[in-house]
Amino acid sequence: MERLLLRNVDKENSHTIEVYLKNGGYQSLKKALKEMSPEDVVEEVKLSSLRGRGGAGFPTGLKWEFAAADVKEPKFFVCNADEGEPCTFKDRIIIEKDPHALIEGMLIGAYATGCRYGYIYLRGEYPIGRKILERAIGEAYEKGFLGENILGTDFSFDLYVHSGAGAYICGEETALIESLEGKRGEPRIKPPFPVNAGYLWKPTVVNNVETLANIPLIIERGGKWYSGIGSPDCPGPKLYPVSGKVKRPGVYELPMGTPLSEIIYEHAGGIVQDRKLKAVFPGGASSSVLTAEEIDVPMDFPSLAKAGTMLGSGAIMVLDETDCIVKAALRLIEFFRHESCGKCTPCREGTDWLVRLVRRIEEGEGSEDDLDVILSVSETMENSFCGLGMAAHNPVASSVRKFREEFFTHIKLGRCPYRRG
Amino acid sequence: MTLAEFREEIRKLKESNKYLELKSYLLPALWIAEKNFPAITHDVMRVVSEELSVPLVEVEEVARFYAMFHTEKKGKFVIRVCTNLSCMLRGGEEVLSELCRLLSVKPGETTPDGLFTVEEYECMGLCDGAPAVTVNEDRYTNVRLEKLPEILKKYGWKG
Repeated sequence: MERLLLRNVDKENSHTIEVYLKNGGYQSLKKALKEMSPEDVVEEVKLSSLRGRGGAGFPTGLKWEFAAADVKEPKFFVCNADEGEPCTFKDRIIIEKDPHALIEGMLIGAYATGCRYGYIYLRGEYPIGRKILERAIGEAYEKGFLGENILGTDFSFDLYVHSGAGAYICGEETALIESLEGKRGEPRIKPPFPVNAGYLWKPTVVNNVETLANIPLIIERGGKWYSGIGSPDCPGPKLYPVSGKVKRPGVYELPMGTPLSEIIYEHAGGIVQDRKLKAVFPGGASSSVLTAEEIDVPMDFPSLAKAGTMLGSGAIMVLDETDCIVKAALRLIEFFRHESCGKCTPCREGTDWLVRLVRRIEEGEGSEDDLDVILSVSETMENSFCGLGMAAHNPVASSVRKFREEFFTHIKLGRCPYRRG
Repeated sequence: MTLAEFREEIRKLKESNKYLELKSYLLPALWIAEKNFPAITHDVMRVVSEELSVPLVEVEEVARFYAMFHTEKKGKFVIRVCTNLSCMLRGGEEVLSELCRLLSVKPGETTPDGLFTVEEYECMGLCDGAPAVTVNEDRYTNVRLEKLPEILKKYGWKG
């Protein structure tokens, strides 16, 4: 496939505005501002069938339509660059190597929805990205792509970087907004949705980095062209970050719906030392695990949902036959326990109980009853306040369901069979 | 940085007009504190509270909520070792124990000379280079145990 989202990243100094302009950068912004009305832009994005790349997969055009329809002023356009899902590093590539594609996407979105101010909420762990983005924003102001009366039109837009400070929950859009407002990152009840009541309770569009990087392409080549790429019901190019026990970890751009097995064996080079694949978390730490028999699944939102898991951020984490699934599940639930904001009981207590139960088993002190308790706690966590708690039990519960024998072996042996020494 | 200089920095921050209300300056203000003080102490928080008209308790709850803000004294260099799944599968836990052994500290502790704080950290988005370590804003990927002394020496480790 032609490289679309990663078209610029291998060029020397791809993060500078000179290189971006030389390769056709900001032409889509010009086209949108000079030849299209805001409604036209929304229609084009709707036609593309682009679905958000942050994890939830909400149709971007529809989100923009809702925001455009709200009349409260001012409106805000926020880029969610809080890429915190473990083993996800796709947005980092765009932030560091093609920041102007992100800025151009935000500008087009802000024009379409009538937003006056923008913030890039960047995770605190990306200090290099922060410097690159701030420099890029400065360049865009100098060239007149940001500020007042952009390209001689009535459209004005100011853009800033807002640094997070190490909190996974702030990737949840309402927690992100709370954090932007200078508070602890605790999620808000929905509705109202951010498009109507977001930052300072004003209409706020929140879009992921990768989602926004698609926008200049859609405006340049048309929504119809875009909708022909990959899976028909959620089309487009997709960035798949692959890590763990593959020969070539990295970010792979492929059409949405590329089979998981093809990504692992053809693009990421297969399993290290040609070992056997044991398990894959196909959509970040909050996705349910897939076994080696289940990896022919197309990597898109509906196919993975049908397979009982989810696409999420598209982060593919691969375990080989020498890795312990109990240990992997333990590490992931430890992460969620650390990141639970504590606001609601099912998540705060549930993650803590799951850590205790899984650790007990990993250390050889578990009992068979523990497995049922794990599944029961997991079920209760479905009632959590936000998506973090609702999904946090997935890696543990799915591991217990699909690798029950391995949990039994730990219990029977009284130790982890994979532990060395 | 003195508290008076810090106050001046927050005033400059406010003049940027980046936000439409004062409280939104809280995280940026705490970032200035994090980078310029060994710890975000109550004295530091009080300056933030006064300049942004935010109750002290709300400054403190935010300072304590975010993992990257240190309300206890930290070392000159904060070493973050990722042990989340992809790094764990590629030896992140061994990197952490070797680092702790070399520096004679436990995760979360600071060396007696105040040079290093070692933290077991969650995913930093460097999974294609697992195992990954960061030292303040510098990043190290595909870290091998035998390379750790070399990395530490760059930051003044006498070993």
